[in-house]
Amino acid sequence: MATQPSDYTEFPPEIILKPLALIGLAGLDTVNNAIHKTIWDAFSNNRRPDRSAVKFKLLNNTFEFPVVKPKRNSYEWYMPKGILKKNWIPKRVSLIPALVVIFYDMEWNDPQWNEKIIECASRVQSIRAAVEGHATRVAVVVVQSGLSPPPSEYMLGAERAQALCSACEIQSKSLFVLPHSDHLMGYIIRLENAFYDIAQNYYHHETKNIKQHRDHLNKTTHHYLFVRHQFKLGFLNELKQDLSTAHKHYMHAYNNLLETRQVDTNIHEIRTVAGYINYKLCKLLFALNLARDAIAQLKSHIERYKNRIGPSELLFEHYAWIARQYSAFGELFEEAIRVGLPGIQSQHPGFYYQHAAQFTVKRRQAMRSVCCEAQQYPPPPDPMEGIVEFYGQRPWRPGRLSADPHDPQKEQAAILALQYNERIFNHSAMIISFLSSAISQFKTFHSPRMRKQLVVEMANEYYYSADYGKALTLLSHMLWDYRKEKWWFLASHVLNRALQCAYISAKIQDYLQLSIEALSKNIRVPNNDKERIFKNITSVLNLDIPTPEPDIPASSQGKALEMWGMAIDKEPYVVNVDMDTIASFLEVKTTFRQLKYRMDDIIDVEIFVRLTYDTVLEIKTATLTVCTKTETIEIPITDNGNSSIKLEGCSVKKFLCKFKSNPHDNGSELSIRNVSFVLDSSRKRKIVMNFKIEDNKSLPTIHPELLHFILSPKSDYEFDCIVPLTTTSIISRECRLSVGIDNAVPALQGEWFPTNFTITNNENNLVYDMTIVLSLVSSPDNTNPEAVTELSFKRGEPQPQPLKLCIGNVNKASTYFNTFYIKTNRTATATVQIKVSYNIDLNDTPKLECIKDFTTKIPVIKPFEVTTNFVTMNFKPVSKCFVDDPFIVMPQIKILSPWDILILDTELETVDCFRYADDKKPQSCISNLQVAEKNVASDAICIQAKYKPKDPPTRVGLYNIKWHRKSDTDGHFVMSSTALSGITIDECPISIVVNYPEVVDLQTSVPLKCTLIGNTTTPIRLSLSVEGTDAYMFSGYKKFSVTVPPKDKIELCYNIHPLVAGNTIPPRIRATVLGENSRQEVIKEMFDKTFPQNIFVMPKYNK
Amino acid sequence: MAVCVAIIGKDNSPLYIGGIGNESGTDNELSRQWLVHTALDALEERLATTNTSNTNTSANAARTDLRDLYLGLLYSTDTHKIYGYVTNTRIKLVLVTSSTSPSGSNIRDAEVRTALRRLHALYADAICNPFHLPGDQIVSRKFDKQVKSLMMNNV
Repeated sequence: MATQPSDYTEFPPEIILKPLALIGLAGLDTVNNAIHKTIWDAFSNNRRPDRSAVKFKLLNNTFEFPVVKPKRNSYEWYMPKGILKKNWIPKRVSLIPALVVIFYDMEWNDPQWNEKIIECASRVQSIRAAVEGHATRVAVVVVQSGLSPPPSEYMLGAERAQALCSACEIQSKSLFVLPHSDHLMGYIIRLENAFYDIAQNYYHHETKNIKQHRDHLNKTTHHYLFVRHQFKLGFLNELKQDLSTAHKHYMHAYNNLLETRQVDTNIHEIRTVAGYINYKLCKLLFALNLARDAIAQLKSHIERYKNRIGPSELLFEHYAWIARQYSAFGELFEEAIRVGLPGIQSQHPGFYYQHAAQFTVKRRQAMRSVCCEAQQYPPPPDPMEGIVEFYGQRPWRPGRLSADPHDPQKEQAAILALQYNERIFNHSAMIISFLSSAISQFKTFHSPRMRKQLVVEMANEYYYSADYGKALTLLSHMLWDYRKEKWWFLASHVLNRALQCAYISAKIQDYLQLSIEALSKNIRVPNNDKERIFKNITSVLNLDIPTPEPDIPASSQGKALEMWGMAIDKEPYVVNVDMDTIASFLEVKTTFRQLKYRMDDIIDVEIFVRLTYDTVLEIKTATLTVCTKTETIEIPITDNGNSSIKLEGCSVKKFLCKFKSNPHDNGSELSIRNVSFVLDSSRKRKIVMNFKIEDNKSLPTIHPELLHFILSPKSDYEFDCIVPLTTTSIISRECRLSVGIDNAVPALQGEWFPTNFTITNNENNLVYDMTIVLSLVSSPDNTNPEAVTELSFKRGEPQPQPLKLCIGNVNKASTYFNTFYIKTNRTATATVQIKVSYNIDLNDTPKLECIKDFTTKIPVIKPFEVTTNFVTMNFKPVSKCFVDDPFIVMPQIKILSPWDILILDTELETVDCFRYADDKKPQSCISNLQVAEKNVASDAICIQAKYKPKDPPTRVGLYNIKWHRKSDTDGHFVMSSTALSGITIDECPISIVVNYPEVVDLQTSVPLKCTLIGNTTTPIRLSLSVEGTDAYMFSGYKKFSVTVPPKDKIELCYNIHPLVAGNTIPPRIRATVLGENSRQEVIKEMFDKTFPQNIFVMPKYNK
Repeated sequence: MAVCVAIIGKDNSPLYIGGIGNESGTDNELSRQWLVHTALDALEERLATTNTSNTNTSANAARTDLRDLYLGLLYSTDTHKIYGYVTNTRIKLVLVTSSTSPSGSNIRDAEVRTALRRLHALYADAICNPFHLPGDQIVSRKFDKQVKSLMMNNV
């Protein structure tokens, strides 16, 4: 409640507090007895919500219970004097406990048991006597040490407890034992729950009592009692924590109250009580989680009482009352949200605070219309003095029920007193307080614009209460938002109020800024009197007091003038205004003419200024601020060399700023930071209007391309269509060197390929500090070129890339010549970049750096291609070789190079499982061979397999070719290596040597010797047969068996005799392995290979 | 029926605010603007929630959701009811009825929907004018007349 403003409509605390069952604790000496103190603390401290809804009150010996009123037997002649007695609730919540608990220290085995029991009983008796007349329950708690008694005395406890009950005349269930040693808190909570049960029982009993009265009442005279009794029932049920029953009774009370006859004299009472009951109803509905019903209850409540205005002299009371209904509901709602009720954007406490504020505004209006006469408090006796017994009754006529005022004079004085009090009441503070509650709620519930509106209302309220500084602060923040969303009408409203505030509080900075913004074409000012505002700006510049704003409160005028008088010729002399954040009468667009400037170019910036307010504006000085990475420079803007500029209303003026770039800025960005115009009247004061240009600030329009839709007059340089260009980049000066490239492309893979280049100085001056940097450029078909390509200025010596070379001076029109070498293993186009940088002195800029990149592309091809054939010793192609069986490798070198090549030497580096068939490395057969494009050079090397490896070899070996271009004569050669493909190796247990001749003469016998050599450690038995043909006769064994001894040989001798001439099939030996079969195939292959398929037989000529 | 209609651009700046009130003065205009401006809160909230629900559901459902441009009653005060409508280009149309006048308080949802659709059509016609710059306030007198009659027709 502390946040809410208070006045007489505020709810008394007993209505607001949540009712808790009251339990009195007697017999605890918390001051002297430490145990009692801990017991009391355990009861009273740390009451978390999950504990029982009870309130403990420590009763000391002097506590007095309220006197019981004599019971009324009949209501026949009873006239109630009011609806709700003010003291009833406080009595229930703090004076009459539902239960008094008497604590008494006593052990069951106390030696002085008899004395103790008597003392305890007497205490109980005294409490009984004190509560005489009330139905308050009594219970006894025996405080014990908690040490368990010996088993022999177990029965004793039960007996003595029984005895104690009878001595104290209490029921056994009202007697409790509290051991205080261990687990005190647990016992306390159990006790608390037991007490709570008894208390509920008590309140239930009380409600029954009240219900009994109902039969005695009649509707004519006891209408108030219907309300009162139902209210009491509701409250007792609330104490009992039976919320729904409580709600039912409060509802009855509310409805009964509605039926009550209402006259001017009791309107205040009815209204007040209705407000209380409604508050209770809504609070219960929120507690029962029926938020919708609570809202509906409030709505119908307001609806019902909206038109019960009461006496018109006290109209403000009605509005005050409604405002309070709303604000109290807002608090209930807020509290409910705090404990978990979800609020939504369209239904949250903010709306109720807003209503409260609105009705407080109405209250003030009512006050203004009815309280004009109440200039002073009525003379004594004070009609406001006096104690009122009932809620909402008037102190000057307490307990009066009749409709007519019994003392018109007193009544008059009282109304005057009320009116006077209202007059001096600070409504603004109350409205501001309600609004600030509402604002925080609207902020929570995602309503930024609603919040803004309320802030503006709040600022208005500050304005009315003459707190112009606060109003101005609030308004300037809100102005920002409305301007941003382009709600110019609202922005104008806010701005005009802010301008009034700034004027009254004589704040020069704010005043000037707001005035400048007020001249914007978007802003509407009262009476459309922009001329006055413009004059005011000029006045402030001239250190004159400006004319007052219209509609400012007369009371503030004098003070404002006084403040202006003091402030006008003092600081601040220089008023900086950020024009880019406000709407104003000046629009500025700046643009570089080019996206890029070279170092030796003159940079030019165009500045367009449009004055939208129709006047002539004289600007003393104007500057353009441009910045680079390193520095910020200010360039004066001049109008044809004139530093003071005259702007004409409603037209655009163009200025051109030219400057040279700094040599340090090469390669950096240049951006326009600020354009500022200074208004100065040669007095001390200046206004500096800054148009700041941020890098990341987006264009004011959403679609810059739409700018071209605007039809802007040509005379205004088509101002609206200009898209500002506020950054430009500075690049180096154009290079006037040329590079000539001379080389014999294509380059051959693996060679050191020379390229001659010539740099020619076409500048008009000598260039110095020339440096060239050579590097390889990656391209899509040749990525990472530096990994496979070498660059160098020396043939055969790779140098780290990129190559750098300082050349020094090159005179005008002279050249520089050099050669670089490139060696690559990749057959793709290599791209070489030659970056030339140098310094040159020009007339106005010394040491100007220029850089230029040249690139040259060098295609690389293979010089030749190597393929391999395998043939037997008699040059028959084979696809398989046998261990220790020599064969010939024939590499074929196909020349692809367009240039003639000299093959210096070749060699075959065999892999492990092969060796040369000869003992020493044979001489290459194609050494010193000169070849041209499309030639094929064939080499032949005889090798044999050493053993059969596990896997068939993938290659026979590396074939190395030493070569160079025929044209190269400086002794450099290239070594190219090619892997030759592999051949399958097999093992055969025998080797065969047959001396078959290639050619024989007809009719001439030829002796043949066939040698079988055993390669293994075991003898091999073969069955041999000779396959004869018709073309030959032969002699020797035709079919026989033979054993080839291990590591030894046998010889078979035959004679063959050709019978026909021409190509003939000679007789061949076929072999079958006897015994083991696994090597049959190999031996058969061996025999097939060794014996020729045909022999040419030469015919014989008869001479 | 309607006491005020407003067209608000996608950057939430007002493009057109038209109203027919008993009194035409600065105060009336001001309260009308406040009303429409604060209605944007509810509109934006409504759009934000549709967006999040769209992302949750499948794309198909999102499309059907988007098809209904009429947002219904945004909120009501003691004196006014405010209805909203958002075009696919995020142009917001707001229609305000008076809950105090009999014609305004008994208005059916379907009528408001029709009126807003009609307003959308009128808006589309108005910005088809090649001389109109998108994003600028609509100053067309014809448009103003049509909108006024739209508001009157339903009274």
